[in-house]
Amino acid sequence: MTTSPPALSLTGLTKRFGTLSAVDGVSIDIAEGEFFTIVGPSGSGKSTLVRLLAGLDTPSAGTLHLRGRDITNTPANQRPTAMVFQSLALFDHRSVGQNIEFAMKMKGVAPDARRSRAMELLRLVRLPEDFYARPVTQCSGGERQRVALARALGSDPEILFFDEPLSAIDYRLRKTLEVELKELHQRTGKTFIYITHSLEEAMVMSDRIAIMRMGKFVQVGTPDEIYRRPANRFVAGFMGEVNILAVSQSSGAPVFADLDLPAADAGGAYAVLRPESLVPGDGKALAFDALVTQKLMLGSRTQYHLRAGDAALIAEVGAATAADLSIGQSARFGFSPADIAWVND
Amino acid sequence: MRRNPGLWYAVPLTLFMLAFFMAPMVVVGWYSLMPARSFDLTTEFSLHNYRAAFAEGYDRPLMWSLIGAALTTVIAGLLAWPTAKILHRHAGRWASLVTALIALPVFISESVRLFGLSVFLMPGGGILAGTMNALFDVQIGTFLNTRFAALVGMVYIHFPFMLFPLLLGVAMIPTDRVEAARDLGAGRWAVLREVELPLAAPGLLIGGLLTFVLCLGANAEAAILGGRAVTVITAAIEQRFNYAQDWPMGAALTVLVIAVTALLVFPVLRRIDLNRIIRR
Repeated sequence: MTTSPPALSLTGLTKRFGTLSAVDGVSIDIAEGEFFTIVGPSGSGKSTLVRLLAGLDTPSAGTLHLRGRDITNTPANQRPTAMVFQSLALFDHRSVGQNIEFAMKMKGVAPDARRSRAMELLRLVRLPEDFYARPVTQCSGGERQRVALARALGSDPEILFFDEPLSAIDYRLRKTLEVELKELHQRTGKTFIYITHSLEEAMVMSDRIAIMRMGKFVQVGTPDEIYRRPANRFVAGFMGEVNILAVSQSSGAPVFADLDLPAADAGGAYAVLRPESLVPGDGKALAFDALVTQKLMLGSRTQYHLRAGDAALIAEVGAATAADLSIGQSARFGFSPADIAWVND
Repeated sequence: MRRNPGLWYAVPLTLFMLAFFMAPMVVVGWYSLMPARSFDLTTEFSLHNYRAAFAEGYDRPLMWSLIGAALTTVIAGLLAWPTAKILHRHAGRWASLVTALIALPVFISESVRLFGLSVFLMPGGGILAGTMNALFDVQIGTFLNTRFAALVGMVYIHFPFMLFPLLLGVAMIPTDRVEAARDLGAGRWAVLREVELPLAAPGLLIGGLLTFVLCLGANAEAAILGGRAVTVITAAIEQRFNYAQDWPMGAALTVLVIAVTALLVFPVLRRIDLNRIIRR
């Protein structure tokens, strides 16, 4: 097996602002052609990190290698990377075509070649060719997204960075663009490094996800690993609503809702249970009595808020499952020990 | 009458403009068509004064005024751009102080400041030459009473009129556009050419217009600092009206200046989108 260097290699990358370390010693290898997503809440340092990667800021410490070449101190305009900005940062004083051709013009590509490449890129991002001469200011939100994407691709970058480009877009268009981005990644085969605050968005598109908090990567893994084996409560809580139960250790065995958990399964101080793991009825290995305190219709699923002893729980039941409970009703719910993800902090 | 109250609200201003703006223009235009040295407004129109203006060599002062205004605009622009960029980047207490220091002299009479500069540059006992002589035993001459001195005075007086619109223009450049351009491979000059100048263009154009038009009408710099080295068109017009008592010729020269100004100003004005500036 040939060992080609990673597309991007971060070693102890750090950015300090005064005493605050916005990015605090991040090390990771990102493989060629990977769709790598960095997820974190606002203030986690993810935007600062991507600015370091793009060369818009210089790190306080650490190194950055692109395909084995040290680019730690290479300015942005000399890096073979391109970024899609959160604000898109389109050149409003130029046409769609001029925006897309910008990087090619900087490289001194002849106008004819630029134009034909711009047309290709318009097709690639699914914009009609007559957009070429249109002013950017006359484009809708979704069209501007596509122009920004085509402009970044116009520099033929080795790596594409995305700094929350879909955060200001309405839900339906965002879903469409997520799928298009994923397809674009598959078609171009380029390395994508994507920043978002939405783990849901990351799950849809990514090969690997890094969860970032206070300048550090808390967990790096495939969407499946992040979802099924969260490293801690922070990661578990990031993916929407989840049941996190502190396990008391009375008489040496973990206890939850008057239910003795098998001691051998107790892998940590907290049990993480996804809402869809709680199933109505007695069919699962561990069952308990619960009171329905709230019922929310979510379309394809129904969400029940339950009270079992001192614990408040959330369960989600598929609409196809014919378990129609009402508020105030008592019901049996169950789960299997295998559904529990154990975390320590 | 009730259908469009806006027209009625505009009546006072319309009357004011007609009385104090249009009427003098009409009178000046009328006089310019009268026979030389007459003080009557008759219907015997002729273009005699315009022909005479070029025959008697008034094209030279007009040329000097245009060259002076153009040079001043370019030099002030070149000086004001980096100044505006620095003041914008370091916006804060000391930047406000520097801005205030540049703005304050505008409130002092232009002649007073120019005489001050003249005293500073005077040979022998002047402030600069005297100090050099007393402290370092160095004797220096002066460029007072040259065209260069007039130009220095023009730039000195009109720099704020270029700087302040330009500060506005520089503030209209979003940082992320500059970063996007850099990210896409643009060097310093490319960023300036492709992003910064086009985005700051409204400020640059307003500053340029203001400076150019003010310079075209300026004569104190040439009179106080330039000595007799250069005659500008405003000085020639003043001379025609005052000493020569030739109102029609003075009026014809005035109309020429207004025509040249309009020819230069209107195409530029059309490119400025005031709405965009105000929204920022």
